[in-house]
Amino acid sequence: MSIMEIIGGTFIIIGSIFLFLGALGIFRMPDIYNRLQAGTKATTLGGMSLILGVGFLEPSWMMKMIIIIIFIAYSNPISSHALARAMYKRKRYPLILSEDKENMDAYSEVNPHEKEEVKS
Amino acid sequence: MKKFVVILLLAVMGYYISITFFDIGFGDSHLVEGVVPVKDAYLNETVNSLNVANTVTSIVVNFRGFDTLGEVTVLFLAVTALGGILYKKRHQAGERSVLFSASKVVTSGSKLLFPAIVLLGAYVFIHGHLSPGGGFQGGVIIATGFLLMLLAYENFTVGHNTLSVIESLAGITFAGVGIWGLIYGGSFLENFLPVGTLNDLFSGGVIPIIYIAVGFKVAAELTGVIYTVLHEKG
Repeated sequence: MSIMEIIGGTFIIIGSIFLFLGALGIFRMPDIYNRLQAGTKATTLGGMSLILGVGFLEPSWMMKMIIIIIFIAYSNPISSHALARAMYKRKRYPLILSEDKENMDAYSEVNPHEKEEVKS
Repeated sequence: MKKFVVILLLAVMGYYISITFFDIGFGDSHLVEGVVPVKDAYLNETVNSLNVANTVTSIVVNFRGFDTLGEVTVLFLAVTALGGILYKKRHQAGERSVLFSASKVVTSGSKLLFPAIVLLGAYVFIHGHLSPGGGFQGGVIIATGFLLMLLAYENFTVGHNTLSVIESLAGITFAGVGIWGLIYGGSFLENFLPVGTLNDLFSGGVIPIIYIAVGFKVAAELTGVIYTVLHEKG
């Protein structure tokens, strides 16, 4: 077992752990923004280290893997930004701003500012 | 009770399917050599006389090229039907409805990403006879690039006449290559070009030409579908 295989295997294990945590976060997190955080940040790092590990295992593919990593680093944040912005524009505010603390496993669909206006 | 019956039924079915497959070793060919001449003929013909590295492509485009022509026609008919259904609505609606425009991050990012996506799609259909992929897949990748641009820029337009011209030219190329083969080779879609060497970009006779035509056709059709659906007033 050469040193390159050990490095590659370590990267693949780190990537798998992060991908698993991302999948777990999508189930566990309470609202859309937290889920987005788990689903995009963890999978960005997980996918990148997984691909880097494959590049270490097959050194002739390293150039292709670096290009794929650049594209993941480029496209993943853009898509998560677009999703979060679309949710905010459609008035799905973070759960921490809403008053409904009981129902912690649902999207906050109420605009807290509108609620205050109604009360006052 | 209902769930129990379903699980029992699935178990019985799974048992019989698995004992059927136990006779065949994993990874073994269950077609005995010489018993199924079609398989041997395809595999030998592909490598020996056509010089195509991707056997699937050689079957799809050359041996069963007529079938692929039919598939392209089916896609064309589906796209035409969709356009016909949505045409009246689009005529009334005019402009497409946008809730809010995309942010600076998305617009500048997609501007940089669009050429890369189109390049990848072109790579996939040009190398269809060498690596996995082909005309249909490459065309779909190019159409996703156009989808990205249409999402990012609300006033991004795709010329409908340009799409029609590209689609028609690609279809004519496919059918023309087939008729050319009928004239020079003896049957429809017969190979009439030199086959080159295995694993070369310019190899496989007419297969790259047909796949490039299919790629252009699928890309134009699916871009037209995306454009039509986005401009429909929901």
